[in-house]
Amino acid sequence: MSTRARIDAGELLISLVLLALGSFVAFETQGIAETQGYAQVGPRLFPYVIGTGLMLCGAWLAWQALSGGWRAMPEEAETHAAPDRMGFLLISAGVVLHMVLIGWAGFILASTLLFVLVARGFGSKKPVRDLGIAVVLSSIVYFLFTRGLGLSLPAGPFGG
Amino acid sequence: MDTLNALFSGFAVALSLQNLFLGFVGVTLGTAVGVLPGVGPALTVALLLPATAGFDPTGALIMFAGIYYGAMFGGSTTSILLNTPGESATIVTAMEGNMMAKRGRAGAALATSAIGSFVAGTIGTVLLTFVSPFAVDVALKFGPAEYFSVMVLAFVTVSAVLGASPARGLAALFLGLAIGLIGLDSQTGQARFTLGVPELLDGLDIVVVAVGLFAVGETLYVATYLNRGVDTIEQMKGSIWMSKEDWKRSWKPWLRGTAFGFPFGCIPAGGAEIPTFLSYATEKKLSKHADEFGKGAIEGVAGPEAANNASASGTLMPLLTLGLPTTATAAIILAAFQQYGLQPGPLLFDTQPELIWGLIASMYIGNVILLALNLPLVGVWVKLLAIPRPLLYAGILIFATMGAYGIRNSWFDLALLYGIGLLGFVMRRYDIPVAPVLVGLILGPLSEQQFRRALAISQGDLSIFVTQPISATVLAITALVVIVPQAWRLVRRMQANAIGHHSPI
Repeated sequence: MSTRARIDAGELLISLVLLALGSFVAFETQGIAETQGYAQVGPRLFPYVIGTGLMLCGAWLAWQALSGGWRAMPEEAETHAAPDRMGFLLISAGVVLHMVLIGWAGFILASTLLFVLVARGFGSKKPVRDLGIAVVLSSIVYFLFTRGLGLSLPAGPFGG
Repeated sequence: MDTLNALFSGFAVALSLQNLFLGFVGVTLGTAVGVLPGVGPALTVALLLPATAGFDPTGALIMFAGIYYGAMFGGSTTSILLNTPGESATIVTAMEGNMMAKRGRAGAALATSAIGSFVAGTIGTVLLTFVSPFAVDVALKFGPAEYFSVMVLAFVTVSAVLGASPARGLAALFLGLAIGLIGLDSQTGQARFTLGVPELLDGLDIVVVAVGLFAVGETLYVATYLNRGVDTIEQMKGSIWMSKEDWKRSWKPWLRGTAFGFPFGCIPAGGAEIPTFLSYATEKKLSKHADEFGKGAIEGVAGPEAANNASASGTLMPLLTLGLPTTATAAIILAAFQQYGLQPGPLLFDTQPELIWGLIASMYIGNVILLALNLPLVGVWVKLLAIPRPLLYAGILIFATMGAYGIRNSWFDLALLYGIGLLGFVMRRYDIPVAPVLVGLILGPLSEQQFRRALAISQGDLSIFVTQPISATVLAITALVVIVPQAWRLVRRMQANAIGHHSPI
């Protein structure tokens, strides 16, 4: 296998985040009160083991990233060459707005907006069609799950 | 109780109008999500968990199992007509079946996979019926030490043995275990890793984690990297019925595929990918038409399709007898049991026989329904493939947010959903497997409980895990499954170097 000349910044960053997360878990564990009982081990042992495991995996992956890249990665350089950042942002906006809106605008309105934004994020050029489908689908889902399955979802200003 | 008697009373449960209906809904939904790219059985069951909390557990579990094995049927349709595997277990079918469709033999490919799935699913269910009681007998001898060892075996196989990279698999496992730590400690009631946030006291809900990883993460990934070009759907050409020749070339691969699939589903070696690849390699070796492989050989569709269905039935064995999930979907079904306050395991065969045997009996019925749904009605499902990608994923996210919000009507869960979605996006981008996260999340707290119970019995003596014969055997097997594939890989590499080329599989 040929070694890559450059170090992949993403691979290294993820490895370091895992290392940091492992250290955080181990550090936080010290704040857990230890009560051992008969077992001689309490609520601290597993967090310590898991924190250590995360650190070791982070170190392992960091070493791989620095020595020719992560092993056995699929050949997807072409796939990842031109990311569609706009699509990513539109979908993110959809999910975050849904979170903000659902409380007072209700499920149907929030979901309609989410649907239109996600469809746009996937490059849909037919906003009117999307809006129509969004309203119908959101309403069907709302009534199916609240009336049919007893789930509780906020109705918003138009419901009652 | 005699197995056959138990099965007959199971049929009485499964044939009740309500359970028959829920089973039908399950396999139909399963076929649909199997056909649709971007939605899988794990995501579907997770989305339905909040909405089914008030259901009768037997009916709900019959439906969830139906979704699981129904998706195995539906996945093959997508693979054959679209060359995009609908499910990870149908990758091989996507190679061979799509070539058949390109040569105008889509009908025969769909038929051999549907009938093969039926044969394998039914044989798998028969095996599940008659082997489970023995597994229960063994499982009854299990104490905390044994359960812990078996869970370690599951952790190791799901993360380190399967998949491309042990380092990435283990990282995913520890991530899942770390997420599982959040919440109240089951033994002392102390809050751990809640960072003072009251919403975190109950821990992260598996629905939010699964839906975030599978729906939000996947949607972000597809939109960012894969949303180019249009998929070409192969036309449904060729008779849907198989010729005499096709039958002759299919029945042995069906049986051999089943023989690979079921045991691989049973052992904690998770997933149906390995048996499908094994079946494909075997059929290629045994076939008289080896030259057709890669160009659309019917054996290469029949065998792997049988294997992935048999493994789905096999997966239910450790799940029902030990409470041990070996795939992402099985982990979610375990969460479904827990939602009803049930812990799968040998005792459940005693305390809830009508649930267990009703579930098993429903699988015989479900397989028959699936054959009817997927063979004569395959044209209906093909229409699902024509849904434009923007509408499909927009719809998926409506269901995803509904599932996350529906748990307890809290915006906090939607924030978590997006955060975990970002995590899923990064994991997909860098080929870090997702299944170990879910298995770690759901088995982590259980394994800690068993570990501390075992040590409470032994008064803190760690040697209990190696002095109990069953536990010691399981740990020895764990060591073997780590060492043997590594050694095997080394031998293969040396052989390949000696011959001077790499073998394809």
